[in-house]
Amino acid sequence: MAAALVHISLLAYSAAAACYLIWLLKLAPKLVTAGRALLFVGLLAHVGAFLASPHADAPWRGGQLFSLLAAATVALYLLVDLRARIPVAGAFVAPLTVAAMVPAHLVHAEAQTLAPVLTHSVILPLHVLAATLGTGALLVAFALALLYLGGERQLKRKQGGRLLERLPSLALIDKLGWQLTVWAFVLLSVAIVSGSFVMHAESGNLLHADAKETFALLAWALLAALVQARLVAGWRGRRAAILVVVGFLLLACSYGGLLARAPLGVSGERALAAPAAGSGQAEP
Amino acid sequence: MAPAFICVGLSHKQAPISVREQLAVPADALPERLRVLASVSGVREVFLVSTCNRFELFALVEQLEAGADLLQALGAAAAPHALVRHGDEALRHLFRVAASLDSMVLGEAQILGQLKEAWSAAHALKLSGAHLERAMSRALSAAKRVRTETAIARGALSISSVAVELAGKALGELRGSTALLLGAGEMAQLAARELQSAGAKELLVVNRSPARAEELAREVNGIPASLAELPALLERADVCICSASVQTPLITRAQMAKVIKARRYRPLFLVDLALPRNIESSVNTLENVYVYDLDDLEAIAAQNRESRAGEVEQAEKIVEEELQNLLRDRRERSAAPVVARLRAQAQAIAEAELEKTLGQLQGLNEKQEKSVRAMAQAIVNKLLHAPTQQLRAEVAVDKSELARAAAALFELPEEP
Repeated sequence: MAAALVHISLLAYSAAAACYLIWLLKLAPKLVTAGRALLFVGLLAHVGAFLASPHADAPWRGGQLFSLLAAATVALYLLVDLRARIPVAGAFVAPLTVAAMVPAHLVHAEAQTLAPVLTHSVILPLHVLAATLGTGALLVAFALALLYLGGERQLKRKQGGRLLERLPSLALIDKLGWQLTVWAFVLLSVAIVSGSFVMHAESGNLLHADAKETFALLAWALLAALVQARLVAGWRGRRAAILVVVGFLLLACSYGGLLARAPLGVSGERALAAPAAGSGQAEP
Repeated sequence: MAPAFICVGLSHKQAPISVREQLAVPADALPERLRVLASVSGVREVFLVSTCNRFELFALVEQLEAGADLLQALGAAAAPHALVRHGDEALRHLFRVAASLDSMVLGEAQILGQLKEAWSAAHALKLSGAHLERAMSRALSAAKRVRTETAIARGALSISSVAVELAGKALGELRGSTALLLGAGEMAQLAARELQSAGAKELLVVNRSPARAEELAREVNGIPASLAELPALLERADVCICSASVQTPLITRAQMAKVIKARRYRPLFLVDLALPRNIESSVNTLENVYVYDLDDLEAIAAQNRESRAGEVEQAEKIVEEELQNLLRDRRERSAAPVVARLRAQAQAIAEAELEKTLGQLQGLNEKQEKSVRAMAQAIVNKLLHAPTQQLRAEVAVDKSELARAAAALFELPEEP
């Protein structure tokens, strides 16, 4: 059941991505309505898959994190779209969501035994939730930053164009991007603090200087610098957009580190939607 | 003969302005004019569109000959230029007018409002009925589709509207914004007025001559300011429109770099309508500063004109699709009387047979009698289901001989 629902959601996300991409070429409002509806249906199926999972109360692992990230990204995008009707961002977010579902299919992580102190603790779920929502927020902010850079380039070069025509104002994109960046920063801060507790419970160290953590910390530091520069000196526009792009790429490298640690294998219901079999186990 | 749709009149394509201005009907004279047109023999429904570019009536008439009478009723000035369109051609014209495909400025939005007003005026006088309402409703939905599914209405066409549109693209909502008018050029004043109508809250007016600045501020309902305050004014403004007659730029890159930092990088949109230019072109390389001069704006306006022209084919397709939908609906409706007569006849036969049978069957309780009636009704419905579907579908693709065949086959009574 959960596997079928995940496949439905992946299908809906892919169809939504196609609708948004075709809309970039052909102005037809029905395509946007269809894209929005498909993302919503995909999200419902995705949430249904999580709920239908036979091990819904168990911890999460590699492949499932990507699946959760895809759902969080779609939910955040739909919220942004509800507020500011920005379908052109859908043309970036929907394909990125489909891309996030690919590792969810491929990663076959062997479950590890959890430290006893984590078995019934809220720290691990908190870490996972904050990390995925924070990454989702930064992914949507990344899409908006790319749109800002493209739109600003066209406006500076005094060229009209398809992109500029379909974009809302640069000021609105900048504002939405900033709000998402602040959320991403706060959530990733929670993820890093809770993650160090998890690490300490498992290995006695607060940090492992591996690729995953190093890139995550770099991304967080960059976001911290951006938030500070915006609040103190008013940084916005192109330089803020560039920093968001770099921040997201650093965070993507951190997820790359996660993939590198997890062996690839055949995916199934559990790899996509369900937590690791049996409680007391976590991702490696 | 069935009533026909007709369009009589002229537009900017057929008559020069000297003719059109003679024909224009003021709003207060419209009801009387409509009554005169409606009183023409054979006219069932009518409405009149009278704008600066168009003087056309759309009507439903008993016979096509009414077209000549309507043409005469439009007046002697109209007759040599006016066109009479009949049937589908008249409907197609209504759709094209609504979609702004027949306008002087392709894709302009006003015609849709003018068309709605014209129809409402006739409707209020009960001179326009269901037929024209259905045609108008389809024409409006065709126009809506054309505006949303093509780029025919996108992109401003005048220098001042292009400037305001681009400012909106950079800054977002212009409502509540502050505009700075530097110099007293006519085009700059026009742009300033567009900004005001877009919601700009404050208009700061600067001129080398303080007296002229005050005079201009009065004209445009702005606030006069001194040229010496320019850096501070640039920190405050969201949009700046320059048209001062000076030989060296008033706004330099170095000056603007300081201003933008002081603004905490809040974006600023600058429009330079002066010759020689008032703003160093390198100012555009600064972050969050956008500078457009006359050539840039003219190039975009030309690009928009070209882009609108490129959308005509797609817009015509939409108009044709919607027109065919209307024509199909009309044909389906024309099948309705045959279907209704067929069902009424079947129902009457069933009712008569039921009463006869129920009279012969003694001792049926209420439930049993209900069952027998339901069975009779079910037989009628099932027998007529396929013929009804066929009639509706075939008539929709213009095979009205099936309707005639059905009437002959079932010996249906003539339509009252």
